[in-house]
Amino acid sequence: MPYLGSEDIVKELKKALCNPHIQADRPRYRNVIQRVIRHMTQGVDVSSVFMDMVKASATVDIVQKKLVYLYMCTYAPLKPDLALLAINTLCKDCSDPNPMVRGLALRSMCSLRMPGVQEYIQQPILNGLRDKASYVRRVAVLGCAKMYNLHGDSEVDGTLVNELYSLLRDQDPIVVVNCLRALEEILKHEGGVVINKPIAHHLLNRMPDLDHWGQAEVLGFLLRYQPRSEEELFAILNLLDSSLQSSSPAVVMAATKLFLVLAKEFPHVQTDVLVRVKGPLLTACSSESRELCFAALCHVRRILRSLPGHFSSHYKKFFCSYSEPHYIKLQKVEVLCELVNDENVQQVLDELRDYCTDVSADLAQAAIFAIGGIARTYTDQCVQILTELLVLRQEHITSAVVQTFRNLVWLCPQCTEAVCQALPGCEENIQDSEGKQALIWLLGVHGEIIPNAPYVLEDFVENVKAETFPAVKMELLTALLRLFLSRPAECQDMLGRLLYYCLEEEKDMAVRDRGLFYYRLLLTGIDEVKRILCSPKSDPSLGLLEDQAERPVNSWVSEFNTLVPMYSKACWAAISSSQVSEPHGPEPSGNGVLSASGSLVLENKEELQPLCDSGSFLLVPNGQLTAEQFEKTWLSLEVAHQEVLPWQGVAHPDTIQTALQVVNIQAIALSKAGVQPWKAYFSAQDGAGCLFLTELLLDPEPSQVHLSVKQSQAKAEALNSFISVLKTVIGTIVGIKS
Amino acid sequence: MSASAVFILDMKGKPLICRNYKGDVNMAEIDHFMPLLMQKEEEGALTPLLTHGRVHFLWIKHSNLYLVATTLKNANASLVYSFLYKVVEVFSEYFKELEEESIRDNFVIVYELLDELMDFGFPQTTDSKILQEYITQQGNKLETGKSRVPPTVTNAVSWRSEGIKYKKNEVFIDVIESVNLLVNANGSVLLSEIVGTIKLKVFLSGMPELRLGLNDRVLFELTGLSGNKNKSVELEDVKFHQCVRLSRFDNDRTISFIPPDGDFELMSYRLNTQVKPLIWIESVIEKFSHSRVEIMVKAKGQFKKQSVANSVEIAVPVPSDADSPRFKTSVGSAKYLPEKNVVIWNIKSFPGGKEYLMRAHFGLPSVEKEEVEGRPPISVKFEIPYFTVSGIQVRYMKIIEKSGYQALPWVRYITQSGDYQLRTS
Repeated sequence: MPYLGSEDIVKELKKALCNPHIQADRPRYRNVIQRVIRHMTQGVDVSSVFMDMVKASATVDIVQKKLVYLYMCTYAPLKPDLALLAINTLCKDCSDPNPMVRGLALRSMCSLRMPGVQEYIQQPILNGLRDKASYVRRVAVLGCAKMYNLHGDSEVDGTLVNELYSLLRDQDPIVVVNCLRALEEILKHEGGVVINKPIAHHLLNRMPDLDHWGQAEVLGFLLRYQPRSEEELFAILNLLDSSLQSSSPAVVMAATKLFLVLAKEFPHVQTDVLVRVKGPLLTACSSESRELCFAALCHVRRILRSLPGHFSSHYKKFFCSYSEPHYIKLQKVEVLCELVNDENVQQVLDELRDYCTDVSADLAQAAIFAIGGIARTYTDQCVQILTELLVLRQEHITSAVVQTFRNLVWLCPQCTEAVCQALPGCEENIQDSEGKQALIWLLGVHGEIIPNAPYVLEDFVENVKAETFPAVKMELLTALLRLFLSRPAECQDMLGRLLYYCLEEEKDMAVRDRGLFYYRLLLTGIDEVKRILCSPKSDPSLGLLEDQAERPVNSWVSEFNTLVPMYSKACWAAISSSQVSEPHGPEPSGNGVLSASGSLVLENKEELQPLCDSGSFLLVPNGQLTAEQFEKTWLSLEVAHQEVLPWQGVAHPDTIQTALQVVNIQAIALSKAGVQPWKAYFSAQDGAGCLFLTELLLDPEPSQVHLSVKQSQAKAEALNSFISVLKTVIGTIVGIKS
Repeated sequence: MSASAVFILDMKGKPLICRNYKGDVNMAEIDHFMPLLMQKEEEGALTPLLTHGRVHFLWIKHSNLYLVATTLKNANASLVYSFLYKVVEVFSEYFKELEEESIRDNFVIVYELLDELMDFGFPQTTDSKILQEYITQQGNKLETGKSRVPPTVTNAVSWRSEGIKYKKNEVFIDVIESVNLLVNANGSVLLSEIVGTIKLKVFLSGMPELRLGLNDRVLFELTGLSGNKNKSVELEDVKFHQCVRLSRFDNDRTISFIPPDGDFELMSYRLNTQVKPLIWIESVIEKFSHSRVEIMVKAKGQFKKQSVANSVEIAVPVPSDADSPRFKTSVGSAKYLPEKNVVIWNIKSFPGGKEYLMRAHFGLPSVEKEEVEGRPPISVKFEIPYFTVSGIQVRYMKIIEKSGYQALPWVRYITQSGDYQLRTS
């Protein structure tokens, strides 16, 4: 066939479609129509033959009809006036004696996405709902949703809704499920389809008749039914137990979620449910389909966050196989890191050590970081493994190990000595920015116990001109200044050279400014430098804040079996923030319970969740009140709540500030550490715009903290939630200190 | 779930087929899919879930095709993946091989099927048996409006049509146990697991009522009534096909059902047991840089003497720059597949208790190549007929149909390799 431009193609097709000889010859005619569709799929604009295609729809050949209708659905939005001409044929087909034709015509007619079609499709849909063939009823029910979707602003038709509710009793299972789907779409502005007791029980009884898709979907709709009594709850759980045995992972997941949500009020039942679904989840984790396997692994991680020991005895199931894709291996490494306990730690570490030398640098690094995570509990063993890895002198391995060491000494100061002994020699095998920063930081902070620290830093200073990463230079400045404080004789000269370089030759403004800052700081005298730079060398409390150790099941159950667990935290936050800013906003989530926008905000501030357990109360980052505004507001309000909490030791303003920042409580002003009386002021704002102003007053004798809260709107419930968040955070800080 | 659209793309990301179900996502969004996939792959952050703006892409790969579902909703991921796999399954049954070529050749049927499989983003009729009743490959022959509605549509049993007829009524029962094994480089077993399935091939007329009887030992295990303390068999996570009446099973432990027509999987289970690996491999792979690689592999059949493993295939990895292979085997034959960097050692029949040996010798170039290679494991494939690890047995299969015909059940037992890997150092 000669090469034809798209215009020629269309011309040729048009000619062929008009040719009466071809029209008379059925196979040839259909062949031409097939060609039109083929070009349409390839993205050629064949909309100009619309008129001829409409003519072709008047045929007894059902395959040809299907093709023509497909064509019409694609181009109707472009040619609404011509599409109206096709309505006639479609309407006629809607009363064809053959139910397949009726269904096809109705489905196509409802899929014509163009204005004005509504008045034509209303009657055929109503007829379709009462059709004796269930095939047509299925189509008609979804047709209602399509019709409504075309005219989202139009009034919800009460009779239609009632008709759909009554069709929930239809004998065809797909009609039943389609009714739920359609009602959900039509009533989305009113919170979706209502599941009352009769409907819930009717659906429960129909469950065995439904196919996997229907079962999974109905389980999703049942989420919004709240059983009246414990008895009813257990009856439902019993009825649905077989869903957990389903051969479809999607049904198992949906059933798990429903069980966890239904048992919200009964933690022991929830635990039982999680034990019950262990087997099915493990099967899903070794599913032949890697995507399903991936989804299951992501959910296992969610569960592990609440029940760290849950899969510990099955740790071998999470060992990687050579041929698995990368994303599965990475998830498995994370899972292994999270299910470690006294019994399996040795085996898990042995396995992870194998991955550390994998050819894939990503997997190797992930395994090293995982060992770093385990090291928080099993420090000695892990530090030894990591130290041994340094012998390999591989760049990506050394870099990851040193980064792990840096995080580790900060959280587990007892391993400092072992880490410092392992460091010499590492500098030769680190090339990337992250690794260099970590090494330099370690040398700076713990330089006094690393004999050759100054000489290593000296090498970095020598080569600073060739250094490409500004972050490394900044780290170098800080580290060298710190080391200078403990080993002045060895460092003075090179510190001078480094500062000179930063001030005179450096082109990066941030580095230059940092250099200038240190230079001026040094001018104020060495005591001042010490006071500013010699902060604590470790702070185990940060680990606790970062980990949020165990989260209650209820904090994530609403996200179970959605896309959320499958994205990393940061990734989902980015996605959801971009979605919130969209003008339309996200639609309600497919699974109901929580509207997507609600869960997005929550996810955005995920750290908040474990602290405010209900999830309904939210603090939002507010546009930082200025100190004056704060003072004015503070003075104008009455104290809404006062309380005295136990406290120990001195207050570290940084720790408190960081901890409260995590839950969006902003510091306005804090006293310096050790000052007496120690005071601090904080402000926060909830989603409804209510301001919370807080004063903390530390009383050393007896050691306790006075808490006063003022509120801009008198809302008792919000106040209580706020205070409970605040107390949890303060409790955490005190807990760490004791 | 609700998918806005489903796409089938070729390897370059060009759409072969697109079906817009909901109209809430611009069809041009798919143009972002391939660049995104490449970018994520580069970053080593590829997952089966990608996003662009508000659109989530959930995708799977099948031969040289990508199947992509787009959605705006915070959807139920397992359901979407299951659906895509269902699409693959249905298409494969229509075209044998699902690949770019077969999609191009059959695009009319593909569109017809996509129309029936999903409506407005919701899965509808997905049973290929039922679809085949009204969408036929002979679509090219002109049938003038005679296509009938499948009776299944109004059936009480959604998985079986009425009016099925066979001259000879037969049922084939396959009891298949696959062994998954993972052994680490120093020879300790990390994972040994058996996945069992009972598959049926049903050629029965009418609406037959079937009852399957299993041996007591297994039945007791199934219902957790076993009083035996030191049980050697422990069935886990037993799943039945939708057609099995679970209430009856719970009451009196009978597995009774009206089967779908043709092939289906009646039940599946997992077995966690400490049996010896059926075929044990010891290997020594010595690499003398710049000169040669010496491989010695010893295979031992650790199952009953009466049983025989058939078509045993042991794949041993070799460095990608190896050349001039030489083999010596005590039984079977070895061949080198340079494109896969493995030596395959084939043994047609491998009786239990026997031990065989293979030696291989390869040359290595004097100039070593730069990139580091992974350490692929040794993998083994085999089939042992007339044998199951769990000891599961079909005692009887009763077939009752109102017309009262005689039907024959045939049973076959096979233990085979699943993911059977032994790591090398």
